[in-house]
Amino acid sequence: MPNARVLRDIKARHGVNANEILRRAYLYVARNQTLPAQVRFQAQLQLNTFGRYTRPTTVKNRCIETGRGRGVISEFGLTRFQFRQKALANELPGVHKASW
Amino acid sequence: MAAVAPARLAALNRLRCEIFQTAYNPTSVRTGAKYLRARLRGPSMIRYYPDQLTVAQFNRMPGDFKIQNWEEYQRLADVEEKKRRGKGVPKKAKSPAESRRMSRKR
Repeated sequence: MPNARVLRDIKARHGVNANEILRRAYLYVARNQTLPAQVRFQAQLQLNTFGRYTRPTTVKNRCIETGRGRGVISEFGLTRFQFRQKALANELPGVHKASW
Repeated sequence: MAAVAPARLAALNRLRCEIFQTAYNPTSVRTGAKYLRARLRGPSMIRYYPDQLTVAQFNRMPGDFKIQNWEEYQRLADVEEKKRRGKGVPKKAKSPAESRRMSRKR
């Protein structure tokens, strides 16, 4: 069972996915300088009404093993310690400890 | 080499945009096109965490084969054991006076 922060992150990911197209449409209108200012302002107000878990910036890539949010090696989605353990256990293809 | 007139360059740009079907925007006005052009991030975002099959999900699947969730079983057994020894969850306070917060000494 993933921890609460991971569950929150999963919630945010699904929220972003569900609202992405609508948000993009509003963003397009709000940032389009060729449109009248009134329309752009209305679009910006609409953007502000979206919930917190619909913004892509609330999504954080956490460790897929432990849920830790820091020291995550993005290529593997693991924190540095999980990465080390798995690498030493030969669970990561093509990764082995440097020695020369 | 003679300098090319700016008007000629602008005409060239317009023609180039026409040929390659891109938006001709000589004054670099922000049209918000980048929000439409960018790929959607959502589909890859929801695929970040690998799917983990829980016992409850497994038991909800069709078929007769069910498994016992030993962790949940143990947790419930522990709760029962605590209740039996009088270490269970305290009763909900009916009035503010009953609540622990109120009865605490300053």
